[in-house]
Amino acid sequence: MIEIKKTYKNYVGGKYVRSESGKTFTLNLKNDSFEVPLTSKKDIRDAVTSSKVGFEKWSEISPYTKTQILYRLSEMIEGNKDSYVDLLVLCGSTKNQAKKDVETAIENIVWYAGLADKWEQISGNLNPVNGEYFNISHQNPIGVVFSLNSNDNSLTSLLNSIIQPLTVGCSVISFSEESSIIALKFAEDINNSDFPPGSLNILSGQFENVFEDVSKHVEINLISICKEIPNEMLTKIQENASNSVKRIVNMPSIDGISSILSFLETKTVWHPKGT
Amino acid sequence: MNNKTAALSIKWEDILELVFDSRIDSVGLNERVDSLATRSIKKDSKLDALNMIVSMCDLTTLEGEDTEGKISQMVAKAITPDPSNLDIKNVAAVCVYPSLVSIAKEKVGNSGVKVAAVSSYFPSGQVPMESKLLDTKYAIDSGADEIDIVINRKAFLEGDYRKVYDEIVALKEACGDVHLKTILEVGDLKTYENIRKASLISLAAGSDFIKTSTGKLSVGSSRQACYVMAKAVLDFKNLTGISAGIKVAGGIRDSKDAIRYLVLINEEMGDEWLTPDLFRFGASSLLDDVLKQIKKLKTGAYQASYYFPRG
Amino acid sequence: MVNWEYSESVESQEIVNIKDKYQNFINGKFQQQNSKKYINTISPSTEEVLSKIVISNEKDVDNAVQSAQLGFEKWSNTSPHERSKHLFKLARLIQERSREFAVLESMDGGKPIKESRDFDLPQVAANFFYFAGWADKIDLSWGAKSLKPHGVVGQIIPWNFPLLMLAWKVAPALATGNTVVLKPAETTSLTALLFAELCEQAGLPDGVVNIITGDGTTGSLIVNHKDINKIAFTGSTQVGKLIQKSLAGRDVGLTLELGGKAANIVYEDAAIDQAVEGVVNGIFFNQGHVCCAGSRLLLQESIHDEFVAKLEKRMQTLRVGNPLDKNTDIGAINSKEQLNKIEGLVNEGVSDGGKIFQTECELPGNGFWFKPTLFTDVQPSYSIAREEIFGPVLTTLTFRTPQEAVEIANNTEYGLSAGVWTEKGSKILWTADRLQAGVVWANTFNKFDPSSPFGGYKESGFGREGGRQGLLSYLKAES
Repeated sequence: MIEIKKTYKNYVGGKYVRSESGKTFTLNLKNDSFEVPLTSKKDIRDAVTSSKVGFEKWSEISPYTKTQILYRLSEMIEGNKDSYVDLLVLCGSTKNQAKKDVETAIENIVWYAGLADKWEQISGNLNPVNGEYFNISHQNPIGVVFSLNSNDNSLTSLLNSIIQPLTVGCSVISFSEESSIIALKFAEDINNSDFPPGSLNILSGQFENVFEDVSKHVEINLISICKEIPNEMLTKIQENASNSVKRIVNMPSIDGISSILSFLETKTVWHPKGT
Repeated sequence: MNNKTAALSIKWEDILELVFDSRIDSVGLNERVDSLATRSIKKDSKLDALNMIVSMCDLTTLEGEDTEGKISQMVAKAITPDPSNLDIKNVAAVCVYPSLVSIAKEKVGNSGVKVAAVSSYFPSGQVPMESKLLDTKYAIDSGADEIDIVINRKAFLEGDYRKVYDEIVALKEACGDVHLKTILEVGDLKTYENIRKASLISLAAGSDFIKTSTGKLSVGSSRQACYVMAKAVLDFKNLTGISAGIKVAGGIRDSKDAIRYLVLINEEMGDEWLTPDLFRFGASSLLDDVLKQIKKLKTGAYQASYYFPRG
Repeated sequence: MVNWEYSESVESQEIVNIKDKYQNFINGKFQQQNSKKYINTISPSTEEVLSKIVISNEKDVDNAVQSAQLGFEKWSNTSPHERSKHLFKLARLIQERSREFAVLESMDGGKPIKESRDFDLPQVAANFFYFAGWADKIDLSWGAKSLKPHGVVGQIIPWNFPLLMLAWKVAPALATGNTVVLKPAETTSLTALLFAELCEQAGLPDGVVNIITGDGTTGSLIVNHKDINKIAFTGSTQVGKLIQKSLAGRDVGLTLELGGKAANIVYEDAAIDQAVEGVVNGIFFNQGHVCCAGSRLLLQESIHDEFVAKLEKRMQTLRVGNPLDKNTDIGAINSKEQLNKIEGLVNEGVSDGGKIFQTECELPGNGFWFKPTLFTDVQPSYSIAREEIFGPVLTTLTFRTPQEAVEIANNTEYGLSAGVWTEKGSKILWTADRLQAGVVWANTFNKFDPSSPFGGYKESGFGREGGRQGLLSYLKAES
């Protein structure tokens, strides 16, 4: 009997799309193999366009609502837990490892869901300036974040590469290579939750094909690299980034409050106090 | 200089619009006024400035205990501020209660010193309009060159700006060609926006001068209040072409402070306002300090008060 | 009628003792350097040669970095509380000698004594006081024990606020446990070298603060030194980008505080007289040599004419001249080079079709000067509306609605600061939320405080200086 396999697609602007090039590549997992989109430079540009729109929408959603959307994401995964476990097993995990991975991912989402309406109280503050002024420092999301996922076939790793910028209101273009299958599966849950189109985009491909374009694209505000890459590639990325003073974060912290700081811009507002 | 046409040249609706448009940021204003105070005046300029202050002084006595003798002393001082230095010319005016105007008028003779009377039931103004008019007319009939009235703060603080305006219009009418100074009593008005509103109402109603204070409150003039009034006078001039004067009174104790007022007027309004016709100091103790400073500049020695006759 | 004018009230230069030439300050003392290349440092208001400073070479930079590495060992072994006390002591010493610093700053850099005395020096001392108190409270700052100093920090600072930029850099770096190699700008090194004397006096361990002079070549040597752990740079966006590029692929921390082209938005319901003052202060403070200067005036169309009339009148009262005269509002342009740049851009503005207004002041004969300048009838495409002029030149644009104001304000690669003027509270908050700028001054402008973070969005750089957020620029998370 011929096995009819599900075709995974990129997820951009709230839609499942093939690469405009029509190209795919084969993911050879331990216990199976899949064809997934080979993202082209044009696909990257389209994703950035969607991501800009997504950023505007997502950043304007109230923190309280963000909390609920993130929490709902955890519920969606919880509901589909078994299918993730099955997929992770195909990737080579033991059933127990897979279960543990999905549970950790869910716990992380819940933790960040609860942070979405609190981080501003932790990272911002009133400044006791000398003089008759009200002075407050608070943070804004930095904008469009490109995040390179690790090659671990792990839902937890994927979440650790996207949840921090999302929590603070950035839109994310998540790019996976060897671990694409988890990411593309995850895209289905995003679509069923309430993220505005473009706020979270999932791409699969070979980073070496696109890193030049990514690092040169002025409308990507930050590149977060969550995987070891060759130093020559990192150097090239950082050199390109310097043309627009783009922020590059190599192996971002995943620990507590410091995990979100890279994705924020501090804005300080002064106002006189008088009659 | 006379503002008698103002009440005709600007409509109440227009002035009301300006009044309601009064927006002042107090912190920014204070900062600007403080920065003006860092201007440094030295040597020749300082002597010129001090002489200018003398020429802008209104010597004042407004006490129940005022007598003919007291007025004589004050007028003598007004005419010859420092008998040991006759280069120092007379002050601008003497300021007294209505009942003492005729005496003061007789004493000043043709010295050039003007006689100003406070009227309209200075300092509170809490009487019926008829009484204010009577008070004012009496002072004018006694020969006053200038009339200092107080605005109706009760009406102002109750928001009855029209009443404040109407009263000043009526008093201005009674004044005719006699110079009208309207006292806002900034210490009662408290906020800069109130000072601006009261300034605009007073100017529109025909005041030739607006004046900060009666000198009867613990809070007298301030450079900040003067700044607000200066801006109002300029905006009024923009609207009508009329240049009104400003008198600061109460709490200006020394030369240094007075010079800071001059700097403020010079920078904000330009030197055309640096004339007794458009700027006055009402301060009794200021004059002696100015005289001391002038003498110090001439002799190089700091002076004692007893070198200068009482006023 | 009596006439009077302000007479010159010149601050005495006697308090200042300038050496014929200077050496680098390394390992706690002034040392003969390897480089033999000296340049003159001149007073931009007289063009008189004040002294000579050395252009440090590779060996000199290496010596300074090695000294800072040794210093880091000592400084790491100094308890946080002791470090705090060192900084407090420095703050006090600065206060005690502030008149001397102020006069030297005005002589060497051309800024009015009124500003160096009443703004720069008080702020310098305040920065050391503020960060002194953080030194033994780093654990409390972000509730994370994993935050550690980088080690040796290379700091490259500009010529607009020479000593203040030193304070912004050195105080937080030392408070967080780093040691520094600092290079002042080549036109304004003298106050940094005087500060070095204070470090000696304060008994700071040798090698904790190293100050070497030089130009861009020296700066580049610091950036490229293999043992530097972090670079903190304040200066032009152009140089900032080069530094970011130089550090590509290296594990070196970086914070950049770069250029700006701030919008100063005046709504029709602003307190107009204070807005005029704020706009004047926003662009003419420190001759406009301010990265966060409010150089783009955005006026609501309904008040354009009235506002411009008041602004021009106010500009006429600005006194340009001898920086040491206490009555001077605008001093000398920092260098011939900068003056040429300003003149070039202003000429471009005129030929583009902008309407120019300059005040009728007399400029001194020697030295570098530029009249306070206002452009109206400017299109957003003109270079004077887009490029950082870094001089006393204000460009006016107009808008019709708050939405349009924000759009114009954000229509720039820069994002350092912005101003908003309206008496309507909700409009301030609405506007401030939408401005892409690290500092938003509402109904005020050019206000600074050590507790208040400063730094840019977009191509104005990254990282913050000042405040709790400023500590993060000198700490890294260690697992």
